[in-house]
Amino acid sequence: MKPVDAWRLSAIPYSELAFKSILQNSSNMWWGSFGRGASGVSEREDLVERALQIARFDKLIVAIVVTAAAGVPFLPQILGGSYGLSASVTLSLAVSFAFIVLYGVQTLSSFVTGGFSPVLSTLPLKRGDVSLVNLLSFVRTCDFLVVGSLACQVFLVSDVTGSVVPGLFMLLAGVANSAIAVGVSLWLSSVFYKDVLGSKRGRGGGVLRLVLLLGWGIAVLGIGVLFAAAGYLIPLVQGVLANPNALTSSILSLIYPFSLGVGVGATAHLFASSGVEKTALAATAGYLLVAVVVSRWSMGSVASFPEGASMATGIERAHDTSTALHGLVTAYVIKDLRTASVNLPSAFLFTLPAFETLLVLLNRAALPSLRASTLLVSTALGGLVSLILPLVLVSSEGTGFDFAKTMPLRISTIAFAKALIATAVFLPAVAVVCLESSLKPLTSPALVSIPFASILAVAAASLLEVRLFLGFTSAGRIRFILQDLSRMAAGAGTVLLPAIAYTVAYLLKFDHTLAAGAMISVASIELAAVVEFVHRS
Amino acid sequence: MVDSLVEIDGLSMRYGSARALNGLDLKVMPGEIYGLLGPNGAGKTTTLKITAGLIEPTAGSVVVSGFDATTESLQAKAQIGYVAEIPILYESLSPRELLEFVASVRRIDKDSLHRRLSQLAEAFEVTSAFDSPIATLSMGTKQKVAIIAALLHQPPVLLLDEPLNSLDARSSRILRELLSLHVQRGGAVLFSTHVMEIAQKLCSRIGIIFEGKTVAEGNLDQLRAQTGGKDATLEEVFMKLTNESSEVENIVKTLRESFFNDEAR
Repeated sequence: MKPVDAWRLSAIPYSELAFKSILQNSSNMWWGSFGRGASGVSEREDLVERALQIARFDKLIVAIVVTAAAGVPFLPQILGGSYGLSASVTLSLAVSFAFIVLYGVQTLSSFVTGGFSPVLSTLPLKRGDVSLVNLLSFVRTCDFLVVGSLACQVFLVSDVTGSVVPGLFMLLAGVANSAIAVGVSLWLSSVFYKDVLGSKRGRGGGVLRLVLLLGWGIAVLGIGVLFAAAGYLIPLVQGVLANPNALTSSILSLIYPFSLGVGVGATAHLFASSGVEKTALAATAGYLLVAVVVSRWSMGSVASFPEGASMATGIERAHDTSTALHGLVTAYVIKDLRTASVNLPSAFLFTLPAFETLLVLLNRAALPSLRASTLLVSTALGGLVSLILPLVLVSSEGTGFDFAKTMPLRISTIAFAKALIATAVFLPAVAVVCLESSLKPLTSPALVSIPFASILAVAAASLLEVRLFLGFTSAGRIRFILQDLSRMAAGAGTVLLPAIAYTVAYLLKFDHTLAAGAMISVASIELAAVVEFVHRS
Repeated sequence: MVDSLVEIDGLSMRYGSARALNGLDLKVMPGEIYGLLGPNGAGKTTTLKITAGLIEPTAGSVVVSGFDATTESLQAKAQIGYVAEIPILYESLSPRELLEFVASVRRIDKDSLHRRLSQLAEAFEVTSAFDSPIATLSMGTKQKVAIIAALLHQPPVLLLDEPLNSLDARSSRILRELLSLHVQRGGAVLFSTHVMEIAQKLCSRIGIIFEGKTVAEGNLDQLRAQTGGKDATLEEVFMKLTNESSEVENIVKTLRESFFNDEAR
């Protein structure tokens, strides 16, 4: 088979894999899809159609975002700043690496868990041709992302330096970076799903899964930090790299992706520390070799399962049928935690509120005392992020929700279970806020009540959001999107209202005790009203 | 007079402009295995889904053990064990996790649960797969897990949509025996199938559905009487009642001619 024909043919298995991956991880569905699988059997057809659309356009949209993100670190040069190129290249490579890994894990899960469709193998094609087609469909998963970010990086480096040589070196570094990123995402998917699909999960294991989830959360957080602090990081990194005598610059020039950044910078002769440059260039050669090895491993892994074989295997046989019994809500909570935690992209969200609040608090680390505004903003931010969880929990029901619907379960039971999880996930964020409150003086003792009132608000908001997402959906794509947005807005409003009540009460009387009372009252009324609404509906 | 365990009255269902059911009526009595027969798209699966509480009908009513499936859905669902045509399960869970969830929601007492679960798991040979994610199991094993989930709480009404489709001969035989025992104890079974031999052998009564309504109902002799074929098989009766007899003959004739013409060339 000609490579051109194989490439053309690979579009079909690729589409199937992307579709399977999106349907499998229904929490990845975008606006207009959330919870729709839970609303009725007839809507599953719409859900499938939506997944097909996402499979077609998801990659393109992500590629545009990644291309733009790869260009952001070059803004200082574009805007005529005096910062060096090495730090920009390093950060650009780090950003594109993280994005490729994030997207790769999401899409490659279907390679890892299900392998390719065996349909190709049933056709009169040589085994080698089938492998080639499957290999190319794997290449397609990240082609737009890689080509987009590479083109952006090469163009900007050539433009900034006014020379082709650094551009070519950037191309080499970018290709190596992408190859390693794709390999890492394939490995990460493989390890995670091997753990999920293995028998250890039934035996209370899953420590590896927890570590991966935390690592995953940190990776996602890392991208946020890179963007949020790009203005500080670029001069900081450049300052370190530009000091030829510092031990730090020598060490960094050995570490990936700094070595690639310094290597590209060296080709443009932007700074003259030959020792650091030489070290970086030697390390770059090593990383290029690593990229070749990783690429061969990735290609070999993918090409070796052309007939529905899976990388994630290793299930042990069970020997007994003993099971535990739980109360109704507890049983649903356990079920939800199990279904949501076996999906890497959705599971990491459990760690997000704590990260988010931590970030907010870190930004205020320099403040000598805690003010009401600090606590209100921190808890409200954590609460708003927690509201993603009900949505993820509803979406992760997927088509399995039809099974729950055949059982004697009230919709309110399901809503309470999901709201309980979302509220529990918010608690670490509250704990972090409380910890900081105990370490720093408060402008008023009444501020202690703010985190606790926010728990009530988050519980009410989660419950309301879950109930709304499990409810009736109107027809039409635009209406679907508007409906999703209005449901999220209702949840956000419920989180923010007690904080607004605090602010208004304080501005009227300048009394923190009164304001805290107002906040607790509003949050309690909200929770009582939502509980009543859910019970009645 | 004994009350029916399933009573379906004037059931209609529309999916957009398509009409899946058009005033379907049927009753399933205690101690009865009622077979739903019909061509593809006749409304068998829709009937079972509405009865199981998965979807709400456009019109008509379903009463299960005296409970209305729409207005008293919780009570009705407590009386039902449902197996879908393609097993609908939480695929990321293992059978142990899924059945633990089912037993907890169905509030089965601990002793009964352990006894029934070990018996059913052994009967259907799924013990070794108990900790494997359902997504990794074969279609047949998934079907067995779905059957165990439906039987676990010993419901009076079993709704089975093509339950024997993916089962091996051993499990198929065991399920048929279990269904017989179930009706002997006063339970009822409403199940759909395409396999005429199974319907003929297993069912006390058969309802033939065509274009969303019941066109004939009864045991084989009563169905034969309705079509005028004294020694007709169930397949022949079915073809006649669904007006497919002459159509199928014409299609076969055309295909045969085309096949032999191709060979002659």
